[in-house]
Amino acid sequence: MCFKNLPVAFDEQGKAYLKEGVSDPYAVKSNGHAKTQEEKIRSLLAKNGHIKEVSIDPVTRVAGALAFHSVVNLQDRRVEDAHSMATLFRGYEIILKGRDARDAIFISSRACGVCGGVHANCAAEAIEMALGCPPPPMGVVVRNLGQAAEFLYDHPLHLYLLAGPDYSAAVLGQSNPEILSKAQSAPAPHRHVHGYATIGEIMEALNPLTGRLYLEALEETRRAREMTVLVWAKYPHPQTIVPGGISVTVTSQTLNEYQTRLNFFFDYAKKMIGIWDDLYDFLYEVEPRFHEVGKRPRNLIDLGIWEHHDGYDARYANATAWGDRRWATPGVVIDGKLLTSSLHTINAGLEEFVEHSYYGDWVNGRQKFKTDELGTPLSPYHMWNKETLPKPAGRSWREKYSWATSPRWDRQVVEAGAYARMWTTAASRKIPKNPYIETTGTSMKMLLPASALPEMQVEWKIPPELNAIERNRARAYAQAYTALVALNNLIAAYDLMKQGNTSVSNEFTIPKGHRMGVGFWGAGRGYLSHHLEMENGALLNYQILTPSTINASPKDPFGQNGPYEEAVMNTPIIEQFKSQEEFKGADILRTIRSFDPCMPCTTHVYAGSQTIVREVNTCACILEDEGEPVEVGAD
Amino acid sequence: MPTSEATTPVGAGRVLVAGVGYQNLRDLSAGPLVIERLGALGDRVDVEDFSYGPIDVLFLLQRRARYAGAVFVTGAKRGQLPGSVDHRRWDFPTIAADALQERIAEAVTGVISLDNLLHICGHFGALPADVTVIEVEPADDGWGEGVSAEGGRALGEATALVRAEVMRLLTR
Repeated sequence: MCFKNLPVAFDEQGKAYLKEGVSDPYAVKSNGHAKTQEEKIRSLLAKNGHIKEVSIDPVTRVAGALAFHSVVNLQDRRVEDAHSMATLFRGYEIILKGRDARDAIFISSRACGVCGGVHANCAAEAIEMALGCPPPPMGVVVRNLGQAAEFLYDHPLHLYLLAGPDYSAAVLGQSNPEILSKAQSAPAPHRHVHGYATIGEIMEALNPLTGRLYLEALEETRRAREMTVLVWAKYPHPQTIVPGGISVTVTSQTLNEYQTRLNFFFDYAKKMIGIWDDLYDFLYEVEPRFHEVGKRPRNLIDLGIWEHHDGYDARYANATAWGDRRWATPGVVIDGKLLTSSLHTINAGLEEFVEHSYYGDWVNGRQKFKTDELGTPLSPYHMWNKETLPKPAGRSWREKYSWATSPRWDRQVVEAGAYARMWTTAASRKIPKNPYIETTGTSMKMLLPASALPEMQVEWKIPPELNAIERNRARAYAQAYTALVALNNLIAAYDLMKQGNTSVSNEFTIPKGHRMGVGFWGAGRGYLSHHLEMENGALLNYQILTPSTINASPKDPFGQNGPYEEAVMNTPIIEQFKSQEEFKGADILRTIRSFDPCMPCTTHVYAGSQTIVREVNTCACILEDEGEPVEVGAD
Repeated sequence: MPTSEATTPVGAGRVLVAGVGYQNLRDLSAGPLVIERLGALGDRVDVEDFSYGPIDVLFLLQRRARYAGAVFVTGAKRGQLPGSVDHRRWDFPTIAADALQERIAEAVTGVISLDNLLHICGHFGALPADVTVIEVEPADDGWGEGVSAEGGRALGEATALVRAEVMRLLTR
């Protein structure tokens, strides 16, 4: 059984069908949980002086506009309620409507300044599916090289510049001085790799602006960017990614220059893994409650990424086959178990709800597509059926409070992340055979080649729990994984070049008639999909679903919190404070930042004919209800 | 037009003129629009569009020899008279470490901002001592190509101010 909640089953040949006898198979009935919860919280706040509303707006050290509201019981040190708010509207779906489908590559790319290439690639794959035009092998490999380089920038950015400072001496010294004190004399087991003798030294090096690790990461973003530009010609927002391939000329010199820079990242990854393993193993030991910080059920989703150059044909009918051959395998994990790695099944389980979002419901008894082209049932809430109907309103925890939607898989709350990608890849054991990465079903073993440091075998094990520390730890291992995917593709590029197989793009024509497409891809922080519908080359509908939309989602109609909310509500308050005024919400921030929020957004609203006219910013600092929230100045 | 690094000894004794801002935000795009209007300003002046991540600008400036002076142009909402042009020396104000850290986080996550650029490049010692900032207060901060009538006049004024500043820096 794959689906628990959706009325979809599979016959003996594995073909999906809608179960018989279900009168309204995709009915959504709100259970009223939000209203009940709101009443309960209001009552708690009225009766207890030690229960406080905490609003963090904006959440700093994240990309884009995110605010977070929580109700914290400072006496019992627990979070009673949480609301994640995307405070700005991202209108790319509306901007793209009616445009030439090829524009999607360049316009959707602008959705994010951090992930400046992922949307271009995702859009290219969606268009390639609609046009029936896959790239030649070298085109696939060059796209992969750029995509890997982009992630080599992204992982250190998260670990050292955004989330990492939460574990620095400067921050821990304020929130938990007792931990910093112990760290100063705690030896670092991997000091022979990273050069830091104690955990305290690592924490000092993580200090923003002055710490060695912080400054080094700032510097090394340059190297990864250079790699991206070598193969994509421009970054962010490459102009070279086109349907059917890429418009760059790749020479052996290009590959050599890429390799020179890549060699550095093998050693950088060895150090990253040592640093974060040492730091986190220490934190678990001295403060076991860190196991609970940011904890939520092990429910994850990923679409995989990095096509195999011999596998990808851009056909939807073959998506599960080429998805299985990717360098990262798609998958859905529920309760820690891999449920499926089929892109068709993952696609069929996707729905997006707007019960608590500033959008209008588009269903109203209508459903444009009841199945995909293979006959697999689709929900009316599926992206191919979705319409983006912005509906700004006043904020209400009972009603609507976010510009993010509530994406769900099989009506379950799943989480996206680089760790989800590693998890589904490790569990499925489908990674292409190669000398550097081995997946065991429970782990990913990686052989990092010698550079200045000797060759090193590292192993990322699927963790027994999903929490803030494990999200971040996996990012360190993801750096090694990404560098080795880059190496495998570099070797493939050299081989193709030797064979004279240097073509990087195929010609295409814009077909007449109706076409559908989907890009199954990923960002540095996980899942990314673009679903499109086009007629005579013009976009009828375009739907983007990003990892942070999944993770920052508000409650759904079934009363389930989104991943940030769920993780924060499970977080114990470890932070030390003498009075309510001293409380900074450090554990809440650690939790949110471990997801690597990226709120790609535009602040403008559509007014017809792709005209964008005014700003919409729904600020979290104005509460509708009585009572003064504690405004937390995020560090 | 960007000056070719391959043919010009960039930096030492030279003057930098840079525009900063997003495209297609009407008068708020004054930075890149003024750069388009300026064209080349002679052998000793590098005229460039710095409308990208301040950290990348930092790396660029760190690679070059120190400029004798710099003039930055942007559009910014400061609550002044719409269409007015402000012209001032950048006096390297200090900001709290937390605030600087937040600006760096914005810079590495894609925000284009002259304020961030000046604070970050200033913090890491990549700016010359003599820095002038020219800001256009937008009359129209909507979305789209072109500028308002007031914005158009302000662009002309800003362009003239840039030329005057360059002359001052070259003849010091």
